[in-house]
Amino acid sequence: MSDADVIVVGAGPAGSCAAIAAARAGRRVILIERGPFPGSKNMYGGVVYPRILDELVPRWWETAPIQRWVVRRSTMVLSETGALTVDYRSNAWGEPPYNGATAYRPDFDEWLSRQAVAAGAQLVTSTTVTGLLRDASGRINGVRTDRPDGDLSASMVIACDGVNSFLAKEAGLYTATDPANFTLGVKETLALPKHVIDERFGVRDDQGVDIEILGGTSGVNGGGFVYTNLDTIALGAVLKLPKLAAQKKRPEEIIATLKAHPAIAPLIEGAEVKEYSAHVIPEAGYSMMPTMVTDGMVVAGDAAALCLAAGIWLEGVNFAMASGMYAGEVAAAAVARNDVSAKSLTAYTDKLNATFVLRDHKKLRKVPGLVLSDRVQQKYPAFVTSVVERVFRVDNPQPKPGLRRIVREERKRAGIKLSQLIRDGWTGLRGFG
Amino acid sequence: MTVVACLKWVTPRADDDDRFAGISAADQSALEFALQSAQPGEDVVAVCAGPVGAERALRDAVACGVTRAVRIDLDPRASSSAVASAIASVVTEARLVWCGDYSLDRGTGSMPGFLAARLGIGQALGLIDVTIAHDAMTVVRRLDGARREIVRVSGPAVLSVEGSTARLRRASLRGVLAADTATIDVVTGPSSVVDTVDEKPFRPRARALAAPAGASALDRVRSLTDAGSVTARSETVVLDPPAAAARIVSTLREWGYLG
Amino acid sequence: MTSIARDTSWPEISFEERIGTAEFRIHERAHIVVDGDTCRGCSTRECVVACPANLFVPTSDGGILFNYENCFECGTCYMVCNKEGAISWSYPEGGFGIVFHRT
Repeated sequence: MSDADVIVVGAGPAGSCAAIAAARAGRRVILIERGPFPGSKNMYGGVVYPRILDELVPRWWETAPIQRWVVRRSTMVLSETGALTVDYRSNAWGEPPYNGATAYRPDFDEWLSRQAVAAGAQLVTSTTVTGLLRDASGRINGVRTDRPDGDLSASMVIACDGVNSFLAKEAGLYTATDPANFTLGVKETLALPKHVIDERFGVRDDQGVDIEILGGTSGVNGGGFVYTNLDTIALGAVLKLPKLAAQKKRPEEIIATLKAHPAIAPLIEGAEVKEYSAHVIPEAGYSMMPTMVTDGMVVAGDAAALCLAAGIWLEGVNFAMASGMYAGEVAAAAVARNDVSAKSLTAYTDKLNATFVLRDHKKLRKVPGLVLSDRVQQKYPAFVTSVVERVFRVDNPQPKPGLRRIVREERKRAGIKLSQLIRDGWTGLRGFG
Repeated sequence: MTVVACLKWVTPRADDDDRFAGISAADQSALEFALQSAQPGEDVVAVCAGPVGAERALRDAVACGVTRAVRIDLDPRASSSAVASAIASVVTEARLVWCGDYSLDRGTGSMPGFLAARLGIGQALGLIDVTIAHDAMTVVRRLDGARREIVRVSGPAVLSVEGSTARLRRASLRGVLAADTATIDVVTGPSSVVDTVDEKPFRPRARALAAPAGASALDRVRSLTDAGSVTARSETVVLDPPAAAARIVSTLREWGYLG
Repeated sequence: MTSIARDTSWPEISFEERIGTAEFRIHERAHIVVDGDTCRGCSTRECVVACPANLFVPTSDGGILFNYENCFECGTCYMVCNKEGAISWSYPEGGFGIVFHRT
């Protein structure tokens, strides 16, 4: 008899949800985490949308370790000195059933793993999976860990081992690793007293703010973010790997420049760096996704590149939790009918295709490329901010110039062809449509 | 007879968050020596006086191979003497009791001495090297002034070791899986063991020094720092390497730094 | 009267201080190994710029000095490196390496 029905590798949001779903279905589940506790290796931009947990953890908001509920969402376009912000506020998001929340991943992931343990999964920490085991037919039927006597057998494996996804690569589910598909996220956790954060961001109690930034990343394609936690601010930059390497600017220098921007500096003035962190993000979305299933294994979460970086939408944890949950359900059913072949496991891909997990990704598949394109990154922030700057500048006794003239002049000044602008606008409209 | 490893659960963060807590490198060395020094058929017991969270350290110890794990439910502010009493009350027929040399939080290193007194057995504390043989062990103690003491331990004793003396073995995967459901014995420690309730961070007591004597400022500084006084000795000699080495050794011996 | 401009800048912390804010549980075995010979022949040095922990340091003899201790385990270095086999990348032993607190 094998050691378990299902081995889940990685106790992040995908792995824990997979373990909850499979254990609830009556399967023997072992959940393996390489960190000393779940979440200890995990870092992200800072906002989680836990609606998908309604199924797995009813009334999750009562126990989840949330920092603040996001009631203000801002999208900021930064030029060298200017800033254009679109800001939406809804205090209703700060009340049940809630929308987005800021949370520390070492807190949130550890909490979620406890739900998996409560569901009956066995959690093993401080154990790194180093490879896959296969039976004579080549079907995956276990994992090798870095502990003595460390082979573990199972009917099947769910790989939730994160963005580097060595298991998916070993199983041949990725064709190649193209650095252009990845961004580096670097972040500072900045400490300020709670009342100072409340005042600067215009919130109260456990209300929070999520600011996404286009521009301000020192010419390296990517973006920035500022999120409020209870008594810290998460500030960071997301940087396209090949551009970062080519621009000869170090990540911490890019953060320093972002922090010094006139629109950002007052928000974080006097804050102390409590923690510096970094993580890679599978940014390219649908175009970089691996084959999701093989004989004896399915892939979920970041390991399956299920991270949505589509400009105004930056989501990952929800895709991880959903894909993990579906993987757990499908695995449990496959084990029950004693068929874990790739064909049997395509139920997982079907489920992803039928739900927001892949529907969002497919619908927005052109957006990550557009958002990270050189034009959007290098030219549009300056163009947009200078248009707005001129629209609102009162230059009496000069009469107000027409909006069309401003747009034409600023477009030319920014070096953007009309045809390109129309094409990008069309791609954007269709992409977001 | 049993071999005992005493582990202290230390929470480094001010918020006492158990996720970041654990046992020190010295305690890990102690656990490794406990496992190595047990004779066939002998029980190896891991003891920890601490909160419920500390059971994780005990499960890790079970995964590494200890045969019994005991948690003494004790106020974390209990004094070394109270901890020693509590441990002595659960340790019976101990042949060897291994401890870390001092804990990471308070760091007085006094608990092992109290424990030896309570158990009425020998002690060899502050060990930097341990050689385990079947009948007796040879251990090396670190003394003041870079001196060393080599001790042969044959009878029952409390031994405290530095963190660099041994690397704790990595628990096997089977061991880890089994430890998840292992029984942790919980003993309620004495309730009133907190001598002083003091929530301030621990600081060593200040030592009163006599005002420096001397006519000039330079003399007073010298008397404070020992610079140039008889206790700070130096000598410059020019010799070929073998003679220089011999001279260094003989001088160190003359000055009392070598035994 | 002298007017004092309000200083909205703040002292940037040194890189050592910055990396010192993260907890690393260091194992004695290096989990990433860099092939010095391959690096000596590399002129682009993507890793030196991109590694967020600044672990790749060029040496005066044209090589790369690599420290594994303060690694975030992100994967940036092997992804940006275009020299086949220059960086052998794996995770540290379970329980060791970066431990995030408030990320």
